[in-house]
Amino acid sequence: MSHTHNPGDGGAGERHAAPMVEEITDFEVLEIAVRELAIEHGLFTAEDHRRFTEWAESVGPAAGSRLVAKAWIDPAFKARVMEDAVKACKEIGIDWAEPTGFGTPSDYMNLRVLEDTPTLHHVIVCTLCSCYPRPLLGMSPEWYRTTNYRRRLVRWPREVLAEFGLVLPPEVEIRVEDSNQKCRFMVLPVRPEGTENWTEKRLAEIVTRDCMIGVALPRPGRTADVHPVQKAGRPVQR
Amino acid sequence: MPKSKPPEKAQKSSGKARFKPGDRVRVKDLPNLFYSRTQIYVRGVVGTIAACTYQDIIPEDEAFNRDGRLEQYYIVRFRQKDLWPEYPFENDTLQTESPERWLEPANN
Ligand SMILES: [Fe+2]
Repeated sequence: MSHTHNPGDGGAGERHAAPMVEEITDFEVLEIAVRELAIEHGLFTAEDHRRFTEWAESVGPAAGSRLVAKAWIDPAFKARVMEDAVKACKEIGIDWAEPTGFGTPSDYMNLRVLEDTPTLHHVIVCTLCSCYPRPLLGMSPEWYRTTNYRRRLVRWPREVLAEFGLVLPPEVEIRVEDSNQKCRFMVLPVRPEGTENWTEKRLAEIVTRDCMIGVALPRPGRTADVHPVQKAGRPVQR
Repeated sequence: MPKSKPPEKAQKSSGKARFKPGDRVRVKDLPNLFYSRTQIYVRGVVGTIAACTYQDIIPEDEAFNRDGRLEQYYIVRFRQKDLWPEYPFENDTLQTESPERWLEPANN
């Protein structure tokens, strides 16, 4: 089975933890129907919708990386992040209230940053849909939204993490955060060894999206979430 | 952009929270009436309050876009072994959120 990507979805090199569903879902049909009704009734225009989509899709994980790097370097900033993460985000130029003045309908302004320690590892999921800290990390990766990831991460977290190449010893407590209501979560990983005296900018480069979801750990030299595509052992003959 | 109405302002905890961090609570196993965000897998399970977060409209009301009942929300921490009896790792935990009406005190 082949996986198709929409052009420009950043899917190149993406590894999917789940088989992709290629047919349109009931909810996608519902979204289109409601959107067309809203446009017909003048609640917003198709141009408004296009511009909002463009804006939403342009947000990437860079702000999250900056937040982590700054927290590693500046203990006072980290303390402010743990105290009130939404407020601390303003220091790195992220206002959760954008673009409407009260956020987007599903990016509620209740961010909590989950701090890892050498004996505690966090990983985030939403079992009910795909809640994600979008103002900081942008759109979630496709695998994050699959039922495969969502239902298995709560039940078999160690096995799912192992599929991402992350194997943690049993002494390390794995804490799954199911963001099923209005809090949004992001993982603050442990600063890896070998990064002493690094600048904030250099540190930010190793804090990739997967590290802030909790399915990977940052380390020197790892600057991208590259999931190698496994070639089929017995490819389909055409 | 046309004007849209801001959602109910999220309130800080007013101090009227029934539970505090560290309290043991059981998730009630109530019937689902039309809509719920309380997962089946935590129903009837005992956990610990990890944080009092905010007050907001309960999902059961918000889903129908009416002026809903505001309630205190909590982050509740469970031992994975309590959620899935055959879970093989002692230390692992899971946290999820719940509005107050789904929680009752558990003293054990
Ligand atoms: Fe969700």
